[in-house]
Amino acid sequence: MSKLSRRNFIRTLAASAGAVALSPVLAGCQPNQNPATSEPTQPAAESQLAESTSTQALNSPTQTSPVPCSGSDSQPCDTPSTSPVEMAAPTEQVKEPAEPAQPSAGIPDLAVARGGEPEDLVRRALAALGGIERFVKKDARVIIKPNICTDYHTYEYATTTNPWVVGALVKLAWEAGAKTVQVMDTGFGGSPKSGYDRSGIQEQVELAGGEMVVMPSFKYVSSPIPDGRDIKEWEFYEDILNADMLINVPIAKDHGSTRLTLGMKNLMGVVLNRGGLHANLGQRIADITSRIRPGLTVIDAVRILTANGPTGGNLDDVKKLDTVIASPDIVAADSYATRLFDLKPDDIRYIVAAADMGLGRKDVENMVISEV
Amino acid sequence: MKIKHWILLRKALQGLALIGFLALFLAAPLRSWSMQTINLPMRLDPLAMLAQSLASRSFVAGSALAIGVIVLTLVFGRSWCGWLCPLGTVLDLFPSKKASRSSSGEPYRLGPRGSWRRWKYILLLVILGMALFGSLTLLFLDPLTILERSLTAAIWPALDRMVTAAETVLVRVPFLEEPIMKFDALVRPILLPERFIYSRSAVLFAFILAGIIALNMVARRFWCRYLCPLGGFLGFLSKFALFRRRVSEDCKGCKLCFTACPTGTIDPENGYASDPAECTLCLDCLEACPRSDITVNLEPVLGPWKPDYDPSRRQVLYSLAAAATSVAIFRSDWLHLQPSPFQVRPPGSIESELMSHCVRCAECLRACPTGALQPAISEAGIEGLWTPILLPRLGYCDFACNACGQVCPTQAIPALSLEEKQTQVIGKAYIDENRCIAWADHTDCIVCEEMCPLPEKAIQLDEQQVTLSDGSQKTIKLPHVLRERCIGCGICEYKCPLVGEAAIRVRVSAQG
Repeated sequence: MSKLSRRNFIRTLAASAGAVALSPVLAGCQPNQNPATSEPTQPAAESQLAESTSTQALNSPTQTSPVPCSGSDSQPCDTPSTSPVEMAAPTEQVKEPAEPAQPSAGIPDLAVARGGEPEDLVRRALAALGGIERFVKKDARVIIKPNICTDYHTYEYATTTNPWVVGALVKLAWEAGAKTVQVMDTGFGGSPKSGYDRSGIQEQVELAGGEMVVMPSFKYVSSPIPDGRDIKEWEFYEDILNADMLINVPIAKDHGSTRLTLGMKNLMGVVLNRGGLHANLGQRIADITSRIRPGLTVIDAVRILTANGPTGGNLDDVKKLDTVIASPDIVAADSYATRLFDLKPDDIRYIVAAADMGLGRKDVENMVISEV
Repeated sequence: MKIKHWILLRKALQGLALIGFLALFLAAPLRSWSMQTINLPMRLDPLAMLAQSLASRSFVAGSALAIGVIVLTLVFGRSWCGWLCPLGTVLDLFPSKKASRSSSGEPYRLGPRGSWRRWKYILLLVILGMALFGSLTLLFLDPLTILERSLTAAIWPALDRMVTAAETVLVRVPFLEEPIMKFDALVRPILLPERFIYSRSAVLFAFILAGIIALNMVARRFWCRYLCPLGGFLGFLSKFALFRRRVSEDCKGCKLCFTACPTGTIDPENGYASDPAECTLCLDCLEACPRSDITVNLEPVLGPWKPDYDPSRRQVLYSLAAAATSVAIFRSDWLHLQPSPFQVRPPGSIESELMSHCVRCAECLRACPTGALQPAISEAGIEGLWTPILLPRLGYCDFACNACGQVCPTQAIPALSLEEKQTQVIGKAYIDENRCIAWADHTDCIVCEEMCPLPEKAIQLDEQQVTLSDGSQKTIKLPHVLRERCIGCGICEYKCPLVGEAAIRVRVSAQG
């Protein structure tokens, strides 16, 4: 036996590792990719640049909010000229993202802003909810989850979340003193990067100082769903589970099986094996929601897609509503959004399932709604 | 310039050419460089370009670049092989068996006898002969296509898995999480696919490249000496090369150049002369020669030189006959009449055009961002071996991508604009109602409808009342394909949640 030199040993090792790595390439002729929840974008059909010019934020959360602070906050909220840092303090209860902020006396369950530029709509809606500081604590690690389902079309096609809505939330998070603001989604058509680019979201997020993150496969973890009724365990993106604050920013769209894709459906973008969810989609979306529990849901209805969703591509299916719906209660936000399509919350199975599990309320008629 | 500087220059050029090849390989799916830059190496390949011109009886403008390599060869012989060829450089990077003296001190020649070198010419003649009869099948033996294909189908997917596995482990180490995420965000968009790519015949393509490298252990650059058809082509041209290696009168026969020669073409029994068709002008012999200034020279020589191997008329005729017979047999195979219904071609391809232009370079396979394009095995008949077909279970034709046509160096896949490509019908989806979750199991699913990228969806859901086994009624959404809308992109088949074969499959349109 000749002595094995170190060099030869390392070569042999490398060759073995290569062989091991190669075997799944052949064996795994079955990709595990599955459908996502998001939507696409397309060429500028109308001069939409005006959207970026909405600089006069009406109710900037750094200014004193006209709406009283959440009653559960211990701090007085009528302090004049409150700095963002001070305002951040009263949001103790939002610390745990799994428990959405509880609505309380004086604070509406849900805010709807209509008419105006997208950034303005977001700021008004958030101000009506008591200000962003209610949701984003100082030094919080914030993740914003828009819907970037494909790289097919630009934002005018209402398949991906409006870029200025996402940008406004990034700005608001910084204004509340966030430590990091990341924006991420994994769509089902084209690569995430090309989707980020095509949707225009990358540009607005970076202008606002946020970070677009491509979600690598190795960051998904299997996690139990204690309250799940149909599924008890699924693979989630780890950072989404660990974020101090998750802001869910879906676009309201038509969707074949669930009829509409809204806030809860948007959460499918942060799990693996989405094909596996379709077997009992309504309940399983609710189960996924019970594990993720975003602290704030902002539904973009600047444009909505009324048919051929979620992929879209036909401007005739797009309706411009200039509306933004915001609520800490994801079920309430989704329930209200059904009205935009002349539907009722009970028409959407995942809303019914989530309300039944106690994840939020669907009785729109009894909610305290602030229309601004 | 001293000889060691020339050698340094050669090694630098070899390195640059290999790095350039790899850079273009890596950049192919990024869409940030012009696709006419990405396919540059293939357009430099005179064998592939000549063969596809012969097969298609046409001249693709981009292939004119290959004339540069022909001119280079007519001046400097097989310098392509010694100075530029990326596969040759890869072979140089791996350890190899070098010529040495036997125990008795006599020079010991490695590898098969010199007459075996004719195999590369025979391969070349058969390839060109088949091209003349319209078949490009054997171009899979071209060294550039071998390297591109093996990197695409085997090496890179495997490398991605190794890197991802390492990242998966390391990212759980608390203090490494941030660096790993930064590393991944930096490296993955440039070098690695965003998700695992699967390829057909990955092991086979790995073995082909590994085998060629392993032959180095029989003799250094075994592939270049005995098999490479491109080497054979350039070797033919080298017969007329201007610069050749010449040994001067006062050679003392020290045999050092013989042991240094990577292609083993220096013949101690013939005054240390070499065959210009085998010499790659690597200059290693000059470096080895103790009296390099005077003994070995490269200088212009006018007039043809008789190489060791000059194909006789008989051998040329044999090769042509073999080529003609092969093509005839390929086309007599039943597969030629009845190609697979799953022979879905890249968008815009016309079957006859594709078969007479495709040089098997695998550039489209590499550029396809979803890994949908795969080498055909028998789908396109024997003749269509390793031509590109769309396998929707491995990937789908991205609605927002037209890379394959843009990158194709021979226009086997037409360069469609995105708008043209989005309406190009490549196949039609058919639902297997015996397996579909909605049809067969009466469970709502509709993934296919959701995924359909068309502005007017080609899959519609019809609500129907069905009776379950317990007699109860249920309303279910059943998917239907509106065939006149479907373009066959295959995302429905790709995403179908069934295990194994999908319940919706894209086929070549049944009406032809």
